[in-house]
Formats: sequence, structure tokens, C-alpha cells
Amino acid sequence: MNYRLVARLTGMLLLLLAAAMLLPVAVSLHFHDGALLGLVFSACVMALVGLLLRSVVGRGASLELHERESYWITASVWIVVPLVGALPYLLTGSLMSITDAVFESVSGFSTTGSSVVVDPAKLPQGLLVWRSMTQWIGGLGLILFVVALQRRLRGSTLALYGAEFSGTQQRRLHPKIATSVTRLWGIYLGTTIVLIALLALAGNGIIDSFCLALSTVSTGGFMTSATGLDGYSHLTLALITLFMFLSGVGVALLYNFFTFHWRRLRRNDEFIVYAAVYVIAVAACAVSFALRGNGVGVSVTYSLFHVASTVSTCGFYATGLEQWPFAASVVTFLLILSGAMAGSTGGGLKLRRLMTLALYLRNYFTRMLHPNAVFTIRIDRQVVPSDYVHKIFGFVFLYILFIIFGAFALTLCGSGIADAFCLAAANISNLGPSPLINTMGANLEYAMLPTGAKWTLMVLMLAGRLEIFALLAIVSPEYWRKR
Amino acid sequence: MWNDIKALLRLIGILLVAEGGLMGLCLVPAVHFADGTVVEMSVCTAVTLGVGGVLWGCFRRYRRIGDRRMAYLLVVLLWLTLTVFATLPLLLTGATHSITRAFFEAMSGLTSTGATVFSDVQSLPASVLLWRSMMQWFGGFGIVLLVVALSSRLGINRYALYTAEASGADNSGRRVVSTVLAVRRTLAVYLVATVVFIALLWSSGMEMWDAVNLTFTNISSGGFSVNGDSIASVTHLQQYILAVAMLLSGVNFTLLYLFFTFRWRQIGHKLEQFGFYIVLYLLSVAFVVGGLHWSNGYNWGDAVRLGTVQTISALTTTGSVVADTTQWWTPVCFLLLMLSICGGMAGSTSGGLKIMRVLILLRNVRGILYSRLHPNAVMPIRLNGQVVSGHIRSNVMVIFMVFGLTLLLGVMLLMLCGVNATEAIGASVGCLTGYGPGLGASGGFGSYAAFPPMALWLCSFLMLMGRLECMTVLVLLLPRFWRRG
Repeated sequence: MNYRLVARLTGMLLLLLAAAMLLPVAVSLHFHDGALLGLVFSACVMALVGLLLRSVVGRGASLELHERESYWITASVWIVVPLVGALPYLLTGSLMSITDAVFESVSGFSTTGSSVVVDPAKLPQGLLVWRSMTQWIGGLGLILFVVALQRRLRGSTLALYGAEFSGTQQRRLHPKIATSVTRLWGIYLGTTIVLIALLALAGNGIIDSFCLALSTVSTGGFMTSATGLDGYSHLTLALITLFMFLSGVGVALLYNFFTFHWRRLRRNDEFIVYAAVYVIAVAACAVSFALRGNGVGVSVTYSLFHVASTVSTCGFYATGLEQWPFAASVVTFLLILSGAMAGSTGGGLKLRRLMTLALYLRNYFTRMLHPNAVFTIRIDRQVVPSDYVHKIFGFVFLYILFIIFGAFALTLCGSGIADAFCLAAANISNLGPSPLINTMGANLEYAMLPTGAKWTLMVLMLAGRLEIFALLAIVSPEYWRKR
Repeated sequence: MWNDIKALLRLIGILLVAEGGLMGLCLVPAVHFADGTVVEMSVCTAVTLGVGGVLWGCFRRYRRIGDRRMAYLLVVLLWLTLTVFATLPLLLTGATHSITRAFFEAMSGLTSTGATVFSDVQSLPASVLLWRSMMQWFGGFGIVLLVVALSSRLGINRYALYTAEASGADNSGRRVVSTVLAVRRTLAVYLVATVVFIALLWSSGMEMWDAVNLTFTNISSGGFSVNGDSIASVTHLQQYILAVAMLLSGVNFTLLYLFFTFRWRQIGHKLEQFGFYIVLYLLSVAFVVGGLHWSNGYNWGDAVRLGTVQTISALTTTGSVVADTTQWWTPVCFLLLMLSICGGMAGSTSGGLKIMRVLILLRNVRGILYSRLHPNAVMPIRLNGQVVSGHIRSNVMVIFMVFGLTLLLGVMLLMLCGVNATEAIGASVGCLTGYGPGLGASGGFGSYAAFPPMALWLCSFLMLMGRLECMTVLVLLLPRFWRRG
């Protein structure tokens, strides 16, 4: 195992985080929010640890990468970075317990958006900015940072690339991995800047616009007020809805969109399914809202917002409705499990996998009647190999297993069974807060959960973000067996 | 086509005659206890026997079902017809006046689920009580297995039937012995076990009436009881005897047969899933016992007894209840529900996913992990020393998916019917796996009496789905199934 390389790459990422801290520090300096010292100090710690790892431990590391290292890098990056990212919460004194700070940080980097901060409006502005930046950095994937930074890596960079997008058969934008990664970041950055500008033009404060835009584009879901998105204008909500929908589309596909290769969009089966799912879910929710006596206009607009927020696993909510029907909870729960498109920043099982499974099931039933028939599954006019289908089955099985074990651990911490399932599902799919959780049982505030439950949820968030296999690979005995 | 349908009707006729015969047996307690249902039970018996006899007689010459589709249709129609006739004693004796409730109870009986709509069982007439136990005993064994046994020489496409009913994963049993032989052995084991356990319970001081009923419902992994508190009020020794009965009901019948006929060498290479079953069981018992002791304050003796028996009851999806489980610590309830999803071994009367499938699913995950670390390695999955073919792997995975999806949709639809979330989860798991008791009002000594009618119909459907392992029912819903050619 090439530990030096692992340390070096982790260190580089920490240095980058320290550099990113400059923005919160600047904001803090401008607003005199009293968090300056804490932020500067945590930036210094990040830089120090980063330097130590990069230049002392990782000095002279060979840049040869193997499969095994790529898993180890993924895991170490995703454990070290959220831990270090928790420093600003602690050092500014905003969150007093280590569990809370790490929870907020993990929730941010995994783009879940579950928050233990009771009233975000009371956080210092600098920290608020950092909080939303964690989601943005985690959104596209920490590993993609690494790949973009260390262009001289040799060997299986593809495995590294795939560690965060496992099992979805990413189509690269460019034969060179580093180039495609740069393009992905370009799109991501561009979308974010556009949304910030639009939100600011819609009359929101600059900090608000910044935080909401970062939460939206990364499908994280941290909000800046304790009451969700209640106080915002209709225009703001409409913009956010649109961009949530767009973030549910794969980033690679958005690249095609912005470079006017629209034909590829139309040929993409997954996109068509995504759009169809969105429309059907909106219709179902709107009808159920309207039947409960909400106005038609409110029902439709709120459904548009709510479904976009759920299917992209963003997790924004606004209490725009008086009556929340069960039917909407049902739709919501199904959407949580399905998630958005493969390659997007959202979580969940991903539509491409579900499409493959659905087609496989259809073929299976037909085979029950015609035992000797041979079928293939085609998506985007390409045959899906059966090996890949087996992998998807394995993934779905593990996903459900994680939800079950997560829910079990939550009941150990005192949750009811139904609540436990909702919490586990919402966090493994990186959704975070949702009206669903509040209607299934008692009002569940993440801040009120016991410590054990918080750590369970953290594991679930990371498992969901890394799509389980990367996390599971390094704890399997097979991984550590000497060759 | 028409010949197939006639042959199908003939088989239904045969089974109805069998059912009518069992109904006739319920006349014994009706007369003995003089519960005033002699006339009603006689009418039910006559009607069932009559319809069955007419069908059998009219179509006796049509013996061959060649079409695969007919086999699927047969299985589902059989259960539905038998259920409809099984509601007769419940309705005519006035045990319930609602068709919904009678259908639910009959379905729960014939699928050996054990969910009941009667909140006060003891007020039912003796003949109805015996009929409830009888349904489970009859259904638990698997009506289709009976069909195969009865028609073993009659030229039905036996293999198609057998795969339709259950145990798709159990290839090992079928490879060694032919289907017919397996069925005969199963029947032999089942009958002997029933007699033995009745004798055991009776000699431990139980009334004959209770002994017969409890044996019928526990050996079939059903879970109905003639007492309002299930098996909580019988002595400790009797609870342990019943636990053994339940445990056996979750073991593959071929294994049992080989074991009791001293062919232990043949068992040797089939023990893998049995080993997993035992390990899973011991781990769960340890957790449940600990939870009951520390969290619910039972003393160690009670905790061990309650924990052991209730865990067996859950893992084999029997659903007999030893204590008011609704008061138990939430994680324990959760674990029991999950165990019932695992279910017993393939080729037993228990429901759920079946241990063998769970084992294959877990091995599959291990294989995938391995192949991610060594992308070029080819790693077959082995079970009992034999390679599990890709066909069976995908078979298992599809059933898992469909099972999970049905479970999820069951919960969702039950919630739409107005059942609260926790109870919906409990009821959906309880009905689909054949465990029976759910959570909340339907858990413990409770009943499904408070469920709205829509929810009861849904639960009945879930029980049918669970017993027939989803696929057989779902394939009927495909448009392609009904298309010609």
C-alpha cells in the first residue's frame, strides 16, 4: 500500500480547504460577526495539517496508483476532510459538542443537509458561508478535486474517478480523465455563479443568495433560517425549483446542454424518465394536496417545489401548506429511494439503476411464460451487460441492508420504528430534512436526537454519498489480505 | 386450451373434496361440545364436498395440464377457490357476518399466516376454532404440494407446478430426489410430526383439545390459537415443546426426512443453510434475551424462555405469541420483524424470503466486493459446495426485489387506507411473510379487528402474494399473460 501517496493527496486537499477558508474569513472581516478569530485559527490548523501530510509524510510519494489505493484514498479523504471541516463550528463556539460539529460537517460534505443548528440565522455570517461551502465542495465529490489537482497521477485514476460514482458507468466527457474533471468543475462553477446572480437580482441579500445557491446546486439543503424557505419571494422559490431540477440532471449531461448538443439530451433515456417521474410525481402530489382542501394554485406550485426538492435529494422545505396528506408522504418516500439521475450531485438509488432493474424484471416475467426466450436490456440504445445488472442488484440489496441496519441502530437509540425508517432513508439518500419526517411521527429535530443516533446517521450519510461499496471495500477482510 | 381449463377445474374439484373432508372432521367437536353448529357445519361440508365432487366427476377424464401459463393460473385460482369455500363455516355459523372479515380469516388460515380479525377468540364455537386450526394445517403444508402428491401419476407438468409454488432456490433437494418422492417424504414427515407432537403435548398434561389445535397451528408455522393469549398461558414445558414444533416447521422437510431415517451421510453436504439458520438464530436469541432482561426487566429465566420461543416463532414465521410483545423494547420488536422477513429454510412450511435466498444474496455481495478489488477475477458463488448458477442468482435477486417492493407498496397502500405508519409496517411485514402479528394494535395478543375493510382486503392480497412468493401472482397481472399465442 502506497501510504505516502494517500497522505500526500489528503494533505493537498486540506491545503485546498484552508485556501477555501479565505472566503468565510473575508466575509467575517466585512461583517464583524465575531467569528473571525475562530475561522482564522481553524484555517491555520487545516493548512498546518495539510502541509504536514503533504510535505512531510507524503514526501517523495510515487504517483503510481492502484485499485486498492484508490479505495483507501476515497475513504481517508472522506473521513479526514469532514473531521477537519468540523473545526470552524467548534472554534467559533457555535456548536459546543464534538458530535454536533462533526454531524454538521459530515452532513455538509455529503450534501445531506441535516442540520443540528436550531436557528441558522443566529450563526455568524462567516460560518454560514463555510457551512454552505462544505456542501458545494462535497457536491461534485472530493475525489474529483484530487484528480483535478494531481494531474500527474498514473495508473488506475479511473477507479478513483469511479469510487464516488460507483456502478453507474459514467460516460466521460473527454478521453483524458483530468480534462473531463476540469470540464465538470467548469459547469458546476458556472451554474453556481449564475444562480447566485439570479438570486441576488431577485432581491435577496448577498449572503442569503450565496448560501442558498450553493445548497441548491450541490443538492445539499442547508437553509439559512429556522423556518425553511418560508419568508422568500415566489420568484426566489421558482428559481430554486428550476435549479434543483437541473442539479438532478447529471452534470455531464448539463455540459451537453450548455454546449448546445441538445440531441444527446433527447436521446438520453434516463433524462426522459427523469422528466416523466418529475411530472407524474408533481401531478400526484398536487392532486393529493388539492383534495385536502388546499387551493389549486398553491397545490401545484408547492408540488413543483417539493418534488424537485425531493427527487434531487436537496431537501429544502417550506411550510406553505396547512394540510399534509398521507398520499404526499407516500410519493415522497418513493422519490427519496429513487433519487435523481446517475452522475448528478443528488443521492438515492439513481434512476439509471432503477430503469435497468425495471427492464430486467420485465424480461424476467416474460421468461416465466417463455422459458427459452433470450432478452437483452438496452439503455440509450446500448446493451447493458448482465454482469452490470448483477452489480446493481448487489448494490440495491446493500442499500436496503444499510437502511435496515441503520433503522435498527436508531431504534436502539430510542426512535420509533416508522421514524427510524424515515430517518435512515432520508439520510442514506442524502436528502436531509423533509416534511415527510415531520408528518410520519413526532416533530423530529436533528438537534434533539441522542448522540448515538447522530453517529448512526453520519455513517449512513457517508455510505449513501460513497454509494456503499467504497466504504465497504476497505472494511472487508479481502482488502487487507496480503497478495 | 379448453382441455387445460377442464383439467384445472378437475384439480380444484379434488382439492375441494379434500377440504370438505377436513370440514367434516370439524363436526366432531361440534357434536362433542354441543356448540350448536352441527347443522351449519354439515351444510358447509355438504356444499364443499358437493361442488368438489361434481367438478371432479365431470372433468375426471381431463388429466393433463400442459401449458405453463395454466400452471400459474391453477395455483392462484386454487388458493382463491379454497379460500372462498373456507369462509363458509365462518359465515354460516355466525362467527362473523362480514364477507371481508371471513375472507381475511380464511386467507390467513390457508396461507398459514396467523393474523386474525377475531379480538375474542374464546367466544367462537368449538367447530369454528378447529376449522381455523385445520385450515392452517391444510394450507401450511402447501396445497400445491398436495396437488403434486395426489396427481403424481396423472401426467401434470409437475415441475412447472413445483416451481410455481415455492422453494425456487432449493435446487439441492430436487437434484437428489424426484419431486414426487420429495412430496411423499414431506407428507410422511408432516403426518408423523403432527401425531408425535399431539402425543407429547397431551402427555405433558395439556387437554387433548388444546393439544390438537396448537399442534395443527404450530407445526404448520401458522399461529392461530384457541386461547385469547395465544400460547402465553400454557406451561413452560409446553411452550418449549411448541417451540420445537415451530423450529421443525422451519427446517427443510427433505432434511428432516433424511435425518429421521438415519441417512445422515446424505445430509452432510446440505448443512450449509442449516448452519446459517442456527447461527442467525443464536445471535438473535442472545440479543432478544439481553434486551428483555435489561430493558424490560424480566428475570433471566423468563427472558431466556420468552426470548427463545418468540425468536423461533418469528424466524419460522409462525406467529404464536408467548407474551404481550407490544410492551417489549422497540429494537427487539424490530429484530423480530426482520427475522420474519428472513424466514425459515426453503422447502419448509415457513414464509418470508427463506434463509437460502438470504445466504445467496449475501454471498453475491461478497462476490461483487471481491470483483471490485480484483476486476479480472471470476468468482463463482458456492452453496453446499456447489456453484450457484447465474440463473438461480438472478432468480433469487428478482424475488428479493419484488418481495421488497411489495412490502414497501403494502406499507404505503395501508397508510393510504388510514392505518398509521407503524401499524402499516407491522401489518405489511406480518402478512407478506406469514408471521401474523404486526405492531401496535395488531401485534402481541391483539387482532386486525380495527383495520378498515380496504386494509383487510389488501392484507389478504399480501398474504396470498407472500405464500406464492409474489411472482406467481404478479405474472397473472401482465397483459402478455392473457395474450393469445
